[in-house]
Amino acid sequence: MMRETRLWSLHLLAIPLILVLLGMHFALMHYAPVFYGMSVEEARSFEVMIERGRSIAQFVLYILLLAAGLYHGFYGLRGILRELPLTPVLSRVVDVGILVFGLLIFALGTYVTWWTFSYRIGG
Amino acid sequence: MNMAVKNTTPRDITFRVRRFDPDSDAAPFWQEYKLNVTEGMTVLEALHELKAHQAPTLAWRSSCRMGVCGSCGMFINELPQLACQTQVLHLGTDVVSVAPLPNYPNVKDLVPNLEPLIEKHAAIKPFVIHPNSPEVEEPTGEFLQTPEEREAFSQFTYCIKCGLCLAACPTVATDPLFLGPQALAQAYRYTADNRDCGLQERLVAIDAFHGPYQCHLAGACSQACPKGVDPALGIQLLKRTLVLDSIGFGKKKSAVARVSPLADVVKAIEEFAPPPRTVTQ
Repeated sequence: MMRETRLWSLHLLAIPLILVLLGMHFALMHYAPVFYGMSVEEARSFEVMIERGRSIAQFVLYILLLAAGLYHGFYGLRGILRELPLTPVLSRVVDVGILVFGLLIFALGTYVTWWTFSYRIGG
Repeated sequence: MNMAVKNTTPRDITFRVRRFDPDSDAAPFWQEYKLNVTEGMTVLEALHELKAHQAPTLAWRSSCRMGVCGSCGMFINELPQLACQTQVLHLGTDVVSVAPLPNYPNVKDLVPNLEPLIEKHAAIKPFVIHPNSPEVEEPTGEFLQTPEEREAFSQFTYCIKCGLCLAACPTVATDPLFLGPQALAQAYRYTADNRDCGLQERLVAIDAFHGPYQCHLAGACSQACPKGVDPALGIQLLKRTLVLDSIGFGKKKSAVARVSPLADVVKAIEEFAPPPRTVTQ
């Protein structure tokens, strides 16, 4: 079993990673007029999003943001749930349940990002 | 320091004492007593007065009467304090509530069951662990420690195991399995000791979910400590030690003790010359 120190350290390390990646996400989506000279509506249009999604850099950015966000959030949720007066069996259920649920959401997010990355306009 | 001016005029004080006898009471209840309190009287002395004249069955635990043994921890006016160090008139209220320490099972009246404290303390192996067993069992010399090395953990050695910090801790209140400030600060005290090589043996207890990462940083433990120890700081220092160890940057300690042969010590004592006299007879 992984040492709690490593799990906690990753929880903290995820914070600066999220800040940087979220900043890039904001630059791409919400501050497009500032950084790309296009309106927010244009930046959010299907064609532009698909075009951007085909970039390997954006693919990596969103997979990393997904992983960091999910890890940070679910580790925090585990901390809250495990503080409840649980039996050892229920504590284990919380640990495994959160791990499985987190991996499922990560798989779904990865699938969506991959779908966008590999989408070809016009089939 | 609390600089508020207290009314230390001798007067009648009402003591609200939480009573509970598991043999006869279904649940704890509050009982009031009046006592004329003079300046300097501690809560412990007041309890002795009450027991002598008004409440002969009142039970509590105490011993040294001078803040050394840590036996008389109580919840006085909603704060965990040592009864022998708390002067009644300095509390500044005409009604003083006295209850057993929270976060512990109640044995009787003001007597808490301190087993959780002792069990958690024992779990972190509160002793210097050294792999050089023959030297530990049958010493041939001294394990050296410089004043600077001692200073690294000195304040944590002042812990008297009174348990006030656990009673004050909001995390222990919601998570009874949390090791708590006393045990974690002591884990740091021994881990930081240059003679100790026992971090890996302690990891089972401290590098776990209910270890230092559950601390909510309330700092109530440090406020409650009657000896001025800062367990909250100890927990943060323990975190740093664990993180550095987990990434391979932990303090490397020699498995071989820096033993000064006893013969050298004896020689040094023999060679010791007192400073020259400054006063002539």
